[in-house]
Amino acid sequence: MILIRLALASLISRKGSALLTLFAISVSIFVLLGVELVRQQAKDSFGRTVSGIDLIVGARTGDVNLLLQSVFRIGHTSHNVRWSSYQDIANLPQVAWTIPIMLGDSHKGFAVMGTNEAFFNHFQFGNQHPLTLSEGVPFRDTFDVVLGSEVARTLDYSLESSLVLAHGLASTSFSQHSDSPFRVVGILAPTGTPVDQALYVSLAAIEAIHSGWQGQPTNSPSQPMHQPKSITAFMVGLESKLATFGIQRKINNYTKEPLLAILPGVTLSQLWEMMTSMENTLRLISVLVLLAAELGLAAMLLASIRERRGEITVLRAIGAPAWLIIVLIEIEALLVTLAACVAALVALYVAVSWANAVLSDGFGLVLAPQLFTKSNLILLASILISVAAIALVPGVSAYRQKER
Amino acid sequence: MLICVEDLSFRYPKQTDPILAINHWAVQSGETVFLHGPSGSGKSTLLNLLAGILVANRAPNRGQIEILGQSLPALGPRQRDRWRARHIGMVFQQFNLIPYLNPIDNVLLAAHFAGTQHPRDQTRELLTALDLPESLHQRPAKQLSIGQQQRVAVARALINRPELLIVDEPTSALDTGNRDGFMSLLMDSVAKHNSGLVFVSHDLSLASQFNRVDALTELNQVGTTS
Repeated sequence: MILIRLALASLISRKGSALLTLFAISVSIFVLLGVELVRQQAKDSFGRTVSGIDLIVGARTGDVNLLLQSVFRIGHTSHNVRWSSYQDIANLPQVAWTIPIMLGDSHKGFAVMGTNEAFFNHFQFGNQHPLTLSEGVPFRDTFDVVLGSEVARTLDYSLESSLVLAHGLASTSFSQHSDSPFRVVGILAPTGTPVDQALYVSLAAIEAIHSGWQGQPTNSPSQPMHQPKSITAFMVGLESKLATFGIQRKINNYTKEPLLAILPGVTLSQLWEMMTSMENTLRLISVLVLLAAELGLAAMLLASIRERRGEITVLRAIGAPAWLIIVLIEIEALLVTLAACVAALVALYVAVSWANAVLSDGFGLVLAPQLFTKSNLILLASILISVAAIALVPGVSAYRQKER
Repeated sequence: MLICVEDLSFRYPKQTDPILAINHWAVQSGETVFLHGPSGSGKSTLLNLLAGILVANRAPNRGQIEILGQSLPALGPRQRDRWRARHIGMVFQQFNLIPYLNPIDNVLLAAHFAGTQHPRDQTRELLTALDLPESLHQRPAKQLSIGQQQRVAVARALINRPELLIVDEPTSALDTGNRDGFMSLLMDSVAKHNSGLVFVSHDLSLASQFNRVDALTELNQVGTTS
């Protein structure tokens, strides 16, 4: 106990450099834990984007490409799936339901997705959460539109707002038809997935935009739907999961046109794998930042040895063992690091709480701030161990100085 | 017998010649010895050997050093440290204290290493008896004047009632007035505790206060015999 008091008094007597070192270490621990937290959360929420969908089918391209197009709406297809092929597959006895996806149009930078009511009934995200509407109802009419929560929030639309859909993806498209107003009938609850960032209309609406339709809104429910010639992709739910690979093979061998069926879960994890190097780079950087801070601590202690020479002599004279100086320097290093750990955890907790307040409003996302997870505790323990190891450098050199 | 040195030869690592070679030197209990010699004559080395901070137990070093009948080289390092804490008090020329601890904690730290318990108020009394006003007891030692620090050092050296007090040029950083005050405090304390005293200085004007005066140049055989 008296040694801890001694170490503490020694640190306090050098509070300037000790505090700066403490600050540097806590910042680096904060970065390390923060990166871990964000990485974990990103991975989780990435895996949450699609759920309950057995296959995604599109024109033949790469697995990841098809996933990016159909789920994240990144990239552009050069080929579509013929309506007849879609019908063929949708009518297979093993297929329970399908969600058609028709992309290629935009509204003020947000994608417009043509689909049908199956989207609202069957699409799931996260841990098998179905989509819910925070306001209104799914589209029924050609000129009804349902908004993702982010779209409604950013563009400040509410129910009954009217808006214009353009052909093309740019935010200011040339072919905007100011005379084809759509009406907002529903707004989806936040999901924290790309679903929030699109507008949803019926396939007939997409056809209407594309067929160079002019004026005369024909928004009567009895109007027979235009049948699209092709769609971008579609999602498939099966009667039984056991049939998944069979159907996938069947679709991939479909003779009338080259098609590709992917398992979204598998392809999502492939996509995540592609980011592993990024992940590892982030981790490496945060470890290096921590190492730099620890070396700073060692340098601070090493610099103190010169002025502690007298102190060592005194300690020896009053009967302290020669190795006591190593122990003292170790205690000082660990005290600084412990304080830094506490400061970093407090800062991270505050940051996560603050982020939650912001995120849960806008995105329906809640970071689960598990600060005391097993992996975090292992991390903190290994930080303490590495500090103890690094502090041996000034410790032993102080010891040697006396033994000389 | 307080100190008995026999057939001592000591050199530092990486040096070719011994710095100390003493055939025989003994001090009786209760004696106060004034040891003088020019700088570089091995005074501090001898004191460190007497205190067991340095040990002449590995070839080419040799010799017998007994304090109170206890052979220091015969003890293990840990025992030697503890033995020093209990039986020997040391005061140096300067930097006697842990600079960031207050006088009380400095004294109590010495008690800690000797494994003895001393209540704080007893420590306070000891400091006050050595002319350190209470107002200074809670200040970090580095804020004290050198004279005050030296008095705390004496208190620190005496707290475990050591049989032997080793004092190394304690007055060379003090002015005359402080020096005389310090000397009378030191001699009084030694008399009161009935400790033996080995006092090293080159200030021969102090020698009259001791009952024995030795010249290290006469003791040390380095250069005179092989």
